[in-house]
Amino acid sequence: MSALPVSLASYIGLSAVMFFVGVAGVVLRRNPLVMLMSIELMFNAANIVFVAFARAWMHNAGHIFAFLVITVAAAEAAIGLAIVVAVFRSAKNVDVDEVALLKG
Amino acid sequence: MTNVIANPYTSADWNVLYPLGIVALGALAVLFVDLVSKKHAPKWLTLALAGLSVIGAGVVCAQQYGQNYDAFGGGFLLGGFAVVMQELVLVAALGTLALYATLGDEERMAGTIALLLWSTCGAMLMAGAANLMTIFLGLELLSLALYCLCGLRENAIAREAALKYLILSSTASGFLLYGMALLFGSTGSVALAAIAQAPVAGNPMLWIGCALFLVGLAFKLSLVPFHAWSPDVYEGAPLPVTAFMSVATKVGALAVLARFVDAAVPSAGAEKLLLPLWIIAGISMVAGNLGMLAQHDLKRLLAFSGIAQVGYIVAALAGGGALGLRYALFYLIAYTFMNLGAFAVATAISTQAEEGSRLANYHGLAQRRPFLAAAMTFFMLALAGMPPTAGFVGKILILSANVGAGYAWLAGLLILGTAISLYAYAKIIRAMYVRDEHAHAREAHPVSPLAWASAAVCAAVLLVLTFYPLAPSNVIPLVR
Repeated sequence: MSALPVSLASYIGLSAVMFFVGVAGVVLRRNPLVMLMSIELMFNAANIVFVAFARAWMHNAGHIFAFLVITVAAAEAAIGLAIVVAVFRSAKNVDVDEVALLKG
Repeated sequence: MTNVIANPYTSADWNVLYPLGIVALGALAVLFVDLVSKKHAPKWLTLALAGLSVIGAGVVCAQQYGQNYDAFGGGFLLGGFAVVMQELVLVAALGTLALYATLGDEERMAGTIALLLWSTCGAMLMAGAANLMTIFLGLELLSLALYCLCGLRENAIAREAALKYLILSSTASGFLLYGMALLFGSTGSVALAAIAQAPVAGNPMLWIGCALFLVGLAFKLSLVPFHAWSPDVYEGAPLPVTAFMSVATKVGALAVLARFVDAAVPSAGAEKLLLPLWIIAGISMVAGNLGMLAQHDLKRLLAFSGIAQVGYIVAALAGGGALGLRYALFYLIAYTFMNLGAFAVATAISTQAEEGSRLANYHGLAQRRPFLAAAMTFFMLALAGMPPTAGFVGKILILSANVGAGYAWLAGLLILGTAISLYAYAKIIRAMYVRDEHAHAREAHPVSPLAWASAAVCAAVLLVLTFYPLAPSNVIPLVR
């Protein structure tokens, strides 16, 4: 079984789709958990670009950047979930439309 | 690749990060002292440790002034610019510590202060960051700690503000990061300098990358189409956090923006690429000041004011070149002290139960606290850009840079925005000086000496700054 060559354009296309799914998720969904997941999608879309181009340019900065992003995304998720739990404790609700004490 | 194992960095690289390291160690020391204390570390000890580390970092950082060094293969550029920006962040941290001395409760002090110091580290890293990786790392370190700081109060509004800040700011980070990925893709390097050398024509990925990067930064700076989060978050966050946020995040993000505009934007397409940024800055000046008119809360008012002030600073960059950068830096320094001063006054009239940020708290302040009212008037005049203050000098410098560089329309918008803002700032001044029949009903609690002193120091610095830069060419000898 020979490996099919995957072109760089396919990686970029995939990542662009992922990025827009992420943006749409943040904009359209109202549940903070889903919004956090969508943000992770945006971060991972960037990771795909980094890794694909690290290979294309033969430059390992992209790999290192991807690891950095994974670490930061984990920290972001940890803090995000903690804040969602805190909001839920004081509001008993995690729908952002109902959490609206601040009228902006 | 023979020397894969060899450490590519020398001690000279690490020396550059001394100030940052001192602040980070300070955070650990604060946590450690809290750990070994019986119940909680005493408030004064926590604050003293944090204050010492911030002042120590400031001293070490000041000693680096005049050195130029590209640390970590160009990841962190030491120079006049980085030093001044780092000092500004440290000033913001020190001011915030003074506010916490007044408002914070002992139970959560250690954790709060540690987060504050780490956030400071992030902003300091951004001050010198010159490749995409250090920019992202600094930005996230700054932001992640701030999300926690916003939500630390036992209060539904604070937590809602934290959630809002978290989601909107992380989305902005997503845009920024995707932009960085595309920039890396189109240039094959993470260094800002490499982006400037990339071919512009027929390279759509570079354009999209630059655009996404700038959108992410505009969001962090709360420039106008991306500003909706800042009034809400400012209002919900505890007063000291708002003060820190209004200065440190803006200093960090402006440092990155200035460096990006200066070093990374390919000169061939700079005009076309950056025009939207200048337009956004122009709109921010007007819209931010318009938004101020309807506000009845000092924190919200200063959030809108901050939107406009950042607009002025970005407009100064439109002047282009070293001169515009210097003027931007001068205005940023003035802005730091104006804002910290205003928040210090707000803290001085706060009680443990209620933050003194509602406009109603300022009614008849001149009768009760003539010094605080005078100081607040001075800060409001400075924010509005009225004559005997550094704000006036800063605005004149920015106007001259804009007109000189052929951006007369930006100068026009700046004047229009200033005119609008006068009304909003005058509202506060009027509230303070109007006679208040209920003045005696409001109990006169003792004013915190630290908050009082911070306000006095900020006012003094602003006054000195007014007369310092009379020869614009030696505003600040920016090396780079």
